[in-house]
Amino acid sequence: MIERIIERRVTLGSKSGLHARPASVFVQNAKGFQGQITLSKDDKTVNAKSILSVLTLGAEQGDQVVLKVSGDDAERAIDRLASLLEEDLG
Amino acid sequence: MKVLQGIRAAPGLAIGSTHIIRPAPAVDITEQRMVDAPGEISRLERATEQAIARLDTLRSAASGDTAGILEAQREMLDDPELKQGADALIEAGFTAGAAIARVTTDYAEQLASLPDPYLAARAEDVREVSRRIVAELRGISLEVRLDRAAILVAQDLAPAETVGLDTTLLQAIVTETGSATGHLAIVAQGLAIPAVVGVTGALDQIDEGVTLIVDGDRGTVTIDPDAASHNEAQMRQAIAMRDREDLKVYRDRPGMTADGVRIEAFANIGSLAEAHKAVEMGAEGVGLFRTELIAANGLPSEEAQRAIYEEVASVLQRPLVVRTFDIGGDKPVPGLDIPAEANPFLGWRGIRLALDRPEEVFLPQVRSLLRVAATYDLRIMLPMVTVPQEVEEARLLIERAIKDLEREGQRFRRVPIGIMVETPAAAVTLDQFEGLIDFASIGTNDLIQYTYAVDRTNARVRERAKPLGKATLRLVAQICRAGMPVAVCGQLAGDEYAVPLLVGLGVCELSVAPARVPAIKRILSTRTLAEMQAQAQQALVGP
Repeated sequence: MIERIIERRVTLGSKSGLHARPASVFVQNAKGFQGQITLSKDDKTVNAKSILSVLTLGAEQGDQVVLKVSGDDAERAIDRLASLLEEDLG
Repeated sequence: MKVLQGIRAAPGLAIGSTHIIRPAPAVDITEQRMVDAPGEISRLERATEQAIARLDTLRSAASGDTAGILEAQREMLDDPELKQGADALIEAGFTAGAAIARVTTDYAEQLASLPDPYLAARAEDVREVSRRIVAELRGISLEVRLDRAAILVAQDLAPAETVGLDTTLLQAIVTETGSATGHLAIVAQGLAIPAVVGVTGALDQIDEGVTLIVDGDRGTVTIDPDAASHNEAQMRQAIAMRDREDLKVYRDRPGMTADGVRIEAFANIGSLAEAHKAVEMGAEGVGLFRTELIAANGLPSEEAQRAIYEEVASVLQRPLVVRTFDIGGDKPVPGLDIPAEANPFLGWRGIRLALDRPEEVFLPQVRSLLRVAATYDLRIMLPMVTVPQEVEEARLLIERAIKDLEREGQRFRRVPIGIMVETPAAAVTLDQFEGLIDFASIGTNDLIQYTYAVDRTNARVRERAKPLGKATLRLVAQICRAGMPVAVCGQLAGDEYAVPLLVGLGVCELSVAPARVPAIKRILSTRTLAEMQAQAQQALVGP
């Protein structure tokens, strides 16, 4: 069986972009899901469960990022993580 | 005896014996050994777990910015990519220490190259994470512990190293690196502990346990002082202590000259914490509330601003002059697109930006201030004004806000409107603002910078500006002749030599850092108004 990957494009809501605190909240949530999760900006794709990698994206408010999620809980994961990215996490 | 010169980072004088902190030797990142890779990987795993446990303990003791930094570091320690990267290097033959140093250096370099300065600064956190794991691998501790009263001497002190310190035992801090505005200076000033930084060669010349005099006012460190220096330092400590005690009685006295003329002693604040400090120090009001500090993470909404101003006003329960956002190219605000400028101090800032972007910047702030004024004594002050037309335009916007509030049925009150006099243009034409403004407050820092054409952040020319020179004093005299109430809220208001001259020229309110308020009241009480006027007249023309 081919593993299903779902994908969603999101506009970053946090005023300060993916700074340490918003990135921390996002990564902690990502770690709560089973499957592989990646976050991409422009042509760079990183592991969403790694805060170091997420910080190196240098994503700012208003940037378009793409979430890709695989695994059994993919639907739940993408809903939760996308809404976190759209929110202003401070 | 030997005297070393450094940079003043926090004022005060301390005499004590040293506790030296030597930096851990750097990891050799090329270190490869025929290692038992699985064993080395589990060694790294254990060290990482210990580092996390230690950080968790530290975190529970930290607050504010330090807590935020430690939280991000904890997440980094637990990063799966960091582990994978290091494990792969260990498999390739590197030791655990070399592997972790290599991986973290790679991330630190990637972060340091990002355009966002905040993210670039996180590179330092990644390096700190590496140091923490390496310390665990080597079985050494990074935290500084004091078991006796001592002066700390170190190459540098990271925030995490100072968190666990028993500050009742910490007498002073001396470091080889650092700047007057660095992290350590801020921490030391907050703790009221004398600090001298940038002391080149300190670790080579200062031994464990020797006696030091650390003079945070002069930026000097005296090693093994002779009897004369020791006595002088003790005497200065005694005088400083008596002075602090003497000043306490002035907190509850009104600001007035020796012959009883009232001069208001106000405070400058930028936060709620400083509002509390202003009350504690006996400020009779706040002459300058710098609101741009609350916009450091983006402009707050009208409702959020109202809550902040109301809280500050309720703490103060005394007159509060609020300066509208003084934002410009040198103080970027997230979410507000201000282009970089070649000369931000001569650029799009203060009222210029407010008038060009009323919906975003000026109106929400004015509305929240008018609403808080329904309950508290609040006044609005406009920054960076040059010509009366700017005040006319600002007043039209304020009228519009009043009409809207009326229509919405909100509680509000009209407030006195004043300006900052910080450009020579406004200073020499202040009489032309008659009828448009209710008060004026001189921002001496900018006025001096613009008058002498000296960038105050440029060390090569900084000394060429003369805060008490004739150009400054004649401008102040001219401002006072315009006939409206004049305050001074710049640094000059807190200078003991300047106070008699400013009051002698006609200034009726001095607004200073909260801690300076009692000292200002004492200076005012030492001379009569006539004496100050005579002194000022002489300074305007004399040699």
